[in-house]
Amino acid sequence: MKNHPMLKYLKAEGPMGPRLPTILCPGCGGGQVLNYTLHAVDRLISKDNIRKEDFLFISGIGCSSRITSHYLNFDSAWTIHGRALAVATGALLANPAFRVIVFTGDGDLAAIGGNHFIHACRRNINVTILCMNNGLYGMTGGQLAPTTEKGVVTTTTPYGNPEESFDLCKLAETAGAPYVARWTTAHPRQVVRSVMKGVRKRGTAFIEVLSQCPVHKKMSPVAMLKMFKDNTILIGKERESKEGKIPIGEFLDIDRPEWNDSYQKIVSQAREGDYRTHE
Amino acid sequence: MKKEKGAKGMNKVSRDSCLLKPGRHYLQGNEAIIEGALVAGCRVYAGYPITPATEAMEAASRRFPEVGGRFIQMEDEIGSACVLIGASWGGVKALTVTSSPGFSLMQEAISIAIISETPMVIIDIQRPGPGQGYITASQEDVMQARWGHHGQGPIIALAPSSVQEMFEVTIEAFNLSERWRTPVLVMAEETVAHMRESVVIPPLEEIEIINRKKPQELGIPPDNYLPWGHDIVAPMANWGEGYNVNFVGLVHLEDGNVTRYSPQMNYHCVERLHKKIEIDANSISCLDTKFLEDCNHLMICYGVVSRTAMEAVAEAHEERGLKIGYIRLRRLWPFPEEQLRNIVCEVDTIFVPEMNLGMMKHPITEALRDRCKKIVSIPSIGILHSPDYILSKVYEELR
Amino acid sequence: MVTIGKILGEAFSLYEGKNSVNTQSYGPESRGGACKSEVVVSAEEIHYPNVRKADVLVALSQVALDRYLPDLKEGGILLLDPGSVKDVPDLDKYQVHEVPSMEIAYEIGGVRYQNSVALGALYGLIPHLVKESSLLKAISDNVPRNTVEINKEAFKRGMRYEKGERGKGNE
Repeated sequence: MKNHPMLKYLKAEGPMGPRLPTILCPGCGGGQVLNYTLHAVDRLISKDNIRKEDFLFISGIGCSSRITSHYLNFDSAWTIHGRALAVATGALLANPAFRVIVFTGDGDLAAIGGNHFIHACRRNINVTILCMNNGLYGMTGGQLAPTTEKGVVTTTTPYGNPEESFDLCKLAETAGAPYVARWTTAHPRQVVRSVMKGVRKRGTAFIEVLSQCPVHKKMSPVAMLKMFKDNTILIGKERESKEGKIPIGEFLDIDRPEWNDSYQKIVSQAREGDYRTHE
Repeated sequence: MKKEKGAKGMNKVSRDSCLLKPGRHYLQGNEAIIEGALVAGCRVYAGYPITPATEAMEAASRRFPEVGGRFIQMEDEIGSACVLIGASWGGVKALTVTSSPGFSLMQEAISIAIISETPMVIIDIQRPGPGQGYITASQEDVMQARWGHHGQGPIIALAPSSVQEMFEVTIEAFNLSERWRTPVLVMAEETVAHMRESVVIPPLEEIEIINRKKPQELGIPPDNYLPWGHDIVAPMANWGEGYNVNFVGLVHLEDGNVTRYSPQMNYHCVERLHKKIEIDANSISCLDTKFLEDCNHLMICYGVVSRTAMEAVAEAHEERGLKIGYIRLRRLWPFPEEQLRNIVCEVDTIFVPEMNLGMMKHPITEALRDRCKKIVSIPSIGILHSPDYILSKVYEELR
Repeated sequence: MVTIGKILGEAFSLYEGKNSVNTQSYGPESRGGACKSEVVVSAEEIHYPNVRKADVLVALSQVALDRYLPDLKEGGILLLDPGSVKDVPDLDKYQVHEVPSMEIAYEIGGVRYQNSVALGALYGLIPHLVKESSLLKAISDNVPRNTVEINKEAFKRGMRYEKGERGKGNE
């Protein structure tokens, strides 16, 4: 651990005591997503000369969001449930140069945070959203989430889930995100590449990462990673599920005007206008 | 093609700063808020349409880009309050103006702003309730201002009573929020938000603007920086300055460590917040007084009701020789208990006219119960008291 | 009606250097659906911002007159539009002036000019309180740029009509 190349981006110790290890359970996918993201950020800093100070990590509440609590050696914000994207909007209003990465979970993003998710994509604010989708509410003990598949038993669906679930990628695309991708924690290089593309993309990049929760799914992490590999299929721009497997890949990669770029035109226009005065 | 600038009747605007020129202007209360915010250096506005605050938001949508700021209409009030947190930590002063139902929605964000010590200003143009309520005047949120957020944080809440004060109090709110690193609430009413009056704007050099202390200015480098330490009001490093600041929304140690929870840590963290605001409570006077010498009775009021109360008290003096003292609370929270006790001697009856069923009556009673024989509420729901109405209640009580 | 109050208040505040407060109420809470705009003007500080007893009442509809006439002091100035206000109780208690502001507005170009006509008529009754130039400046602040001249003309017509009426009354 002491020699981990990404350790320089973490705060193992603070002035008032240790911060690592994280509170994540052994085998949790969150740690992997953090690792992949830091690798991507590391490459962006060296290849694209992006300043480390410009990176800003924001999260809401949940296991996934915990990554941002006080472990990162970056500017970060561990905010309130579902509101990471609203806080991100504010940060970008103050300073459009921030490279914002939002860590969130399926519940934080699509349930309580659903409205802000839709509008962030619609506005196309300059964030890269990493949604760690484990199909349930982990921190609070394994309840139903909007991404829980029909029929699944959780602590609040003891008779099986009667509801249909979201396809978060379709939701992001329909709402207007110009970059949409889905991977799993078993696809490290792809996640790293997508994060780099996301940060480079001017606008909302949505990256869903199917992530294992070994504790609530009652499976070993290795078994879950194998399941991710076996039950997913890489597709291109065609979107429909094949052979009963979950489609993964880069579903969308286009360019759209980013919110701050559009608003800057309004600022210029407003400042050049004709001032009414009364003399 | 040159576009026409600003709203109809938009007053003299300085070409350079785009702020209103010093001198006399005629503004609506809601408009005066925005002009005050811009003078205070606020450059981010987020809001959601809600009567009777909408004109403030519309004025912000015109004026903020004119001065190089940014405006956004969010999808709801919760989002608006969260934008304020993000913008403030991004280094820019931020404002939202809402009304009572929106104020309810913002309470969680206020709670996290208190614990994270985020400077920001929320203005509530109160309207009656409960529920959807109506779009007339009210003072029904004054208790919610103090206790509406979950948890036990302190808060500063101011109460303007004129359009001139909507301008001045907004600036004061920003100054207090920056000085004490806390969200500040301005509790206004629909009456003042919609009314139009003259506003005199002094030369900008004469207006005091306070900005948050920065660790850079104090020579504290990133490696030695404690985001909630160094002083009772911690210097605030913002995102993007190389300080690797971890914003957290729960009780923490001074360096932001949230792992080592203990009830003692919890207590210490919250207690420091209260101590911080108590210093503020005692630091400046927040009472307006008149007719206090030899008064037999008192009228204690706040917000726009204080204008009616002043006229009523003056008339009672003139027409009936009734010696009623007048005290106006310019600040509701922290409640100025000590300041009140310092100036109130023995009186017979204390009248408290409010546009609610009796809310500030409670801390007033706590503070002055031993200095009077009785405390009488004069409520008026949904409409501003008229002087005749207040006087009829006073005369009836003193018969 | 909301605009008349705003223009008047602005004329007093900005161009006459007096203190003025303008408030308005509309909808059901303004007693019967009539929309009301109030202006209080004073050389001194104004405390209570609403009108207690009015010195002047401008009534442009019967409903408005019915609701707000009790607020006018005895001997106060009542300016009304005879086209829509037919019934005035206790006529002799007040100084009543009739100006068909709606009709004159239509002659000029439409009901949207009624406010300026009414203001012109009102000016004739309170020239000691406000200068014509102040009102005209306030009008041009508050109407679309391309209608400033028409509104000024509407103001003048209202003023002349009212003067003519007063002239008749003095015979």
